[in-house]
Amino acid sequence: MSSDVVIRVDGIGKRYVAPHKFGRDNLRSRLIGHLKEFIPFFRQSEEDYFWALKDVSFEVKRGDIVGILGRNGSGKSTLLKILSGVTLPTTGRAWLKGRVGSLLEVGTGFHPEMTGRENVFFAGAFLGLSQREVRAKFDEIVDFSGIEDFIDLPVKRYSSGMYVRLAYSVASMLRSDILILDEVMAVGDSAFREKSQKNITRAASDGRTILFVSHNIPAVKQLCQSGFLLNRGSITRTGNIAEVASQYLREVQKIQDNIDVVCSYRDLVDAPRFDELRKVILKSVELLSEQLEPVNAIKSGDSLRIRIKIANTSVQEPYFTVFFLNDVGERVMTLYSTHNFYKVPTGEVIAECKIPSVQLVPGLYRLMIDFGSFALGQFHSVDCVPNAIAFNIDHPGNLGPPRLVANQGYLLQPASWETVSAS
Amino acid sequence: MSVTPASSEEHVIEAGHRGISLGVSALWAQRELGWIFIRRQISLRYRQMALGIFWAVLEPLAFLLLMSAVFGMLLRVDTGNYPYPIFAFSGLMPWLLFNKATMAAAQSLVDNMALISKVYFSRLLLPVAGVVRETFDSAVVFVILVILAWMFGYTPGWKLLLAPILLIYVAINALAVGLWLACVMVPFRDVRPLLTLVLQAGMYATPVLYPSTLVPEQLLPYYQLNPMYWSVELFRWLLLDKSIELSGSFWISLILVVTMLFSGLVVFDSGEKKVVDVQ
Repeated sequence: MSSDVVIRVDGIGKRYVAPHKFGRDNLRSRLIGHLKEFIPFFRQSEEDYFWALKDVSFEVKRGDIVGILGRNGSGKSTLLKILSGVTLPTTGRAWLKGRVGSLLEVGTGFHPEMTGRENVFFAGAFLGLSQREVRAKFDEIVDFSGIEDFIDLPVKRYSSGMYVRLAYSVASMLRSDILILDEVMAVGDSAFREKSQKNITRAASDGRTILFVSHNIPAVKQLCQSGFLLNRGSITRTGNIAEVASQYLREVQKIQDNIDVVCSYRDLVDAPRFDELRKVILKSVELLSEQLEPVNAIKSGDSLRIRIKIANTSVQEPYFTVFFLNDVGERVMTLYSTHNFYKVPTGEVIAECKIPSVQLVPGLYRLMIDFGSFALGQFHSVDCVPNAIAFNIDHPGNLGPPRLVANQGYLLQPASWETVSAS
Repeated sequence: MSVTPASSEEHVIEAGHRGISLGVSALWAQRELGWIFIRRQISLRYRQMALGIFWAVLEPLAFLLLMSAVFGMLLRVDTGNYPYPIFAFSGLMPWLLFNKATMAAAQSLVDNMALISKVYFSRLLLPVAGVVRETFDSAVVFVILVILAWMFGYTPGWKLLLAPILLIYVAINALAVGLWLACVMVPFRDVRPLLTLVLQAGMYATPVLYPSTLVPEQLLPYYQLNPMYWSVELFRWLLLDKSIELSGSFWISLILVVTMLFSGLVVFDSGEKKVVDVQ
């Protein structure tokens, strides 16, 4: 099995010189600080440096598509830069087997003064394609980009969409054994994105190994089987992409409470708020079934009551908003109390939102509850709990196959099928 | 779907220092890229200019006109039997090549930072391409120089065949200096104005606009240590048939250039690795 490993990274670390912080210090320390930035001799303490990556180790097998997740500044790009040879690590070593092609930025090597055609050849050369290869694939590249008519125009005359599409198309012809891609999915319109996603999948099915960084979680989940999460330069989670992605989303949405919020009742007084300074108005949330039984799991199509207890004394024209977020953090549904012109009375009260039929696809959902004042057509949030409660939606038992299919959309819409005319 | 056999290439990326290397073999391995890069540099330079490639010639000619007016007509510098314009031009051409090529090589990493920080290739390509681009321009200027000399009565002779070697020698001079400075220039942008000043001074320390006969006899051996002294004098020798005597200083300057070039390659190769981090 180990012969299948094509990338082995061992304790990679990368240290940068920390930018000097100019405070209210005297001239001498300012001068030293300035010199530290330029001359290694003056950098003696560890605090003159910061580690963009620290002790990162992992292995990738041939044919794997590995997603690297992490917030901005977590070290993803530094890692890819090291693996593609742009910069050297401070510690550790990496071993890669096969031809390595990397795309750290769409449009590397493009020059605005040159025509699309010239740029294709030039960028291709920088990505490691031979001119013969580019010539052989030229039509394919232009076809993929969909800008045949403008290929002999200087790219400075292109729209930014045309520019990145052409740039990406060149890169998509990369056929190295190992592909290193940094945030390349964010290019073009949705049709083009789908095309490039397919291209990546095809590249992987040819036995190529792909390492890729993206903030587009649905795309990552669709493309990768495994991945790892970087946080402040260290790997904090590795394994199945779904787990890694959900951990990442918790980080992004600043969900510090790691307590399992899948429950039917939750006290919100101490729950983390979006903004610490806000008043605590939302007191608790409870999920009930049609029959007023507490639930933390319902079937798709079932009824659901959300009971929110508040203590409001000062907010005028109050409103509630309940956001439904799916397991990747996408908003799938929003309920506004203003849709019903509902106004909660002041004092300590319990408001109930009743959904006659929750027609969402099975999965884990989290609720974000927002309370504030709606005046003059404007929402002013006063108290907002981003991760109020979570619950599961299960598959209704009465439907035929298929049951659990990935990427089926957001709704489980009841529909009937019948023959209206038979010959 | 065809499964391409995985190449047996292996890459090891490791922290710490590697041995001393000139980086020349890596450059050779990427010669195709180098060739494209140079072609692009040359074609890009004059795109968007109404007079295009003519600027390669117009610029030195304008400079020559200026210098001829100041040194030839106002100060009346004694150049022996050589008409001042042709005397100055034959010195100016190699000097301008040295000046611009040094600048191009020294600036090459700074100018191409966007590329360096995004894709890996032999970085030696950048200074080399800069120097080649300037040499190309100079070759065009050289042709004009030959025609001009002809008009002044200096019939081109067989010695002109040595001109390419001399041009390359000047380019190597520039590359040697440029390689030393290229990596330093990235964190220390101070180098650029300094280099401009030094090159400016260098022109007056080289017999470009005046003949070396004006230099005091006892200083001459030191004055001749300047490799560009020899380049300029050799150009005059092959164009104007000006007599030349290769003294001991010539050989010392030659050794100096070769040492600078090889040490420059080593310095560049070790500095190039860190350049991305200190930009």
